[in-house]
Amino acid sequence: MIRGIVGALVLVALLPPLFLTRDLIAAIYFTFLFMILAVNYDLLGGFLGYVNLGQGAFFGLSAYAVILLLNSGGLDALGATDIPVAMALAILFTLAMTWGFAYPLFRLSGAYFAMGTFAMVLLIQQVIVNFPGLTGGTYGIYVNPRHYLSLHLAYYLALGLLLLSLGLNLWVTRSRLGLAVNAIRESELAAAAIGIDRFRVKRRTLLLSALPSATAGAIFGLQAGYIDVDAAMGVEKTLLPVIMAMLGGSGLVAGPLVGGVIVRGIDIVLKNYLHLAFPALAIYGMILMGIGLLMPHGVLVFLRKRREAGFRSDAGSFRA
Amino acid sequence: MQTVLDLALGGISLGAIYALMAFALSMALATTHVLNVAHGLILVLGAAAATYLIQVRPVGILAALAVVIIGAALFGLAFESVFVRQFLGKSPEEILIGTILVTFGFGLSVETLLGYYWARWVHPTPSFTLSFPWPHLRLGWVTFSGTRLAILVLAILAIGAFHLFLTRAPLGKAIRAVAQNYEGAIILGLNPRLISLTVYIVGITATAISGVLLALAIPLDPYTGTRLTLVSLTVVVIGGVGSLPGALLGGVLLGIAEVLTAYTFGAIWSPVVSLLVFFGVLVIRPEGLFGRGSG
Repeated sequence: MIRGIVGALVLVALLPPLFLTRDLIAAIYFTFLFMILAVNYDLLGGFLGYVNLGQGAFFGLSAYAVILLLNSGGLDALGATDIPVAMALAILFTLAMTWGFAYPLFRLSGAYFAMGTFAMVLLIQQVIVNFPGLTGGTYGIYVNPRHYLSLHLAYYLALGLLLLSLGLNLWVTRSRLGLAVNAIRESELAAAAIGIDRFRVKRRTLLLSALPSATAGAIFGLQAGYIDVDAAMGVEKTLLPVIMAMLGGSGLVAGPLVGGVIVRGIDIVLKNYLHLAFPALAIYGMILMGIGLLMPHGVLVFLRKRREAGFRSDAGSFRA
Repeated sequence: MQTVLDLALGGISLGAIYALMAFALSMALATTHVLNVAHGLILVLGAAAATYLIQVRPVGILAALAVVIIGAALFGLAFESVFVRQFLGKSPEEILIGTILVTFGFGLSVETLLGYYWARWVHPTPSFTLSFPWPHLRLGWVTFSGTRLAILVLAILAIGAFHLFLTRAPLGKAIRAVAQNYEGAIILGLNPRLISLTVYIVGITATAISGVLLALAIPLDPYTGTRLTLVSLTVVVIGGVGSLPGALLGGVLLGIAEVLTAYTFGAIWSPVVSLLVFFGVLVIRPEGLFGRGSG
């Protein structure tokens, strides 16, 4: 099924820039960015069972890093290669920060881990806001127009990155690392007993989940031309990916994609086509609430259970 | 001398509010494993209701407080039966993921509607703030902030009431039993539904009251909720889940740390310090400074 979805997605996604309006291209491009974050989130949240409410931190850190690097002028000597070099450095910087954060974060599990990751984002946000001289503080920073990324280029880069992220998740499910990740999710104690170095496996998974997010953040920063803390790592960037993954079906490779299509679809329709008497965010929240109450395991699992219910009364484990 | 007194009173009274608001979250986490992301919003709702009933359409202080408390209890009842009850008995992981989704959606829609309609019907820039009738009290040659003192007294009364409830009342003891050992408590015949219902009615009432107290100290707006949720979580992490003395000490520590930071480095650094405290505690003692070690 995943192959069918991805195939259809690629075919449809390659064409739009040729005939859609700029607004819609931008909306689909943002959908790709959110899907990348959701797919990355699920590596940790779905496969490892560690709910990371801070996926946006990797995205935002890298967006800030790439803009600050380019604005500093230190890379001007490189000529045309300055953008890729700055992106690579920003991603490396983000991975280094992630490496550091792994130490306090993985002392936690369950609800505490979720809280810890959320606190990580807020800490980074606050530190960025508190150094207005460097980061522009609450006003945000602009990209020098020389370094803008065009929407079309960003669109295709995001699409490619989304496919790579999906490939990464698929690869993890089939790799030795994936086996270790699975073992840890099922039982930390048993995983430790058979000699899995749990911290290293978790840290590696966290770094793998941060890598595409950081790349997406660098693309986002340069395409947007202007970022502030809220745009780079606000509540939307940190929590929507989690919601998309949960909505589609956490722990399934296709889950975040399905969730992403639903969430962004609702968002685009509410904001652009329905003219409501009150803010669309309210309806959006209610839909999330309803889905959480009615299909707590996500749409894919809900559908699979409904199908299986035809054969058996008890659908049993959904991760089989 | 005056400065030291002001800082101490400011820090301790802020800490007492933090303790009260964190305590409800801590109790809910310990007994039902529900992570209520909309916890801070409940404070905001309490503050908004009090502001409306005391300053916008004055109905008298006592009537206003009665309405806020009864309203919060009913809200707790509804919250438990709609959002919590169906997660009872599931695995902690399922509860965590399900409730984050549900409470986030709830918080998002309520804060959006609150901000939108308050701006439309009441005041274009929503701000929930209350003022205490005696802002300054003179005692000998030092002046106390009457507001801070009132906050401190009220918060201590509320915390004391909860402490008595948890240690003396049969239902309160049952709550502690469930928090310590869910299966064991159920085998002994305690009713998990009744306990979860009580935890939410009592907890949400306490949270709404702490919202009213917080509105006395600082102005709130419809979107302060997330930050308050995180402050509560920080206190829970410092104090350990399900521990009332822990929440009290954690709250006061955090309150004093924030006030001192604001005084020395400026108010923009106090959130950073509270987050650093949060991470510091996690690294040194993930089960909380006062937790029982089963984190």
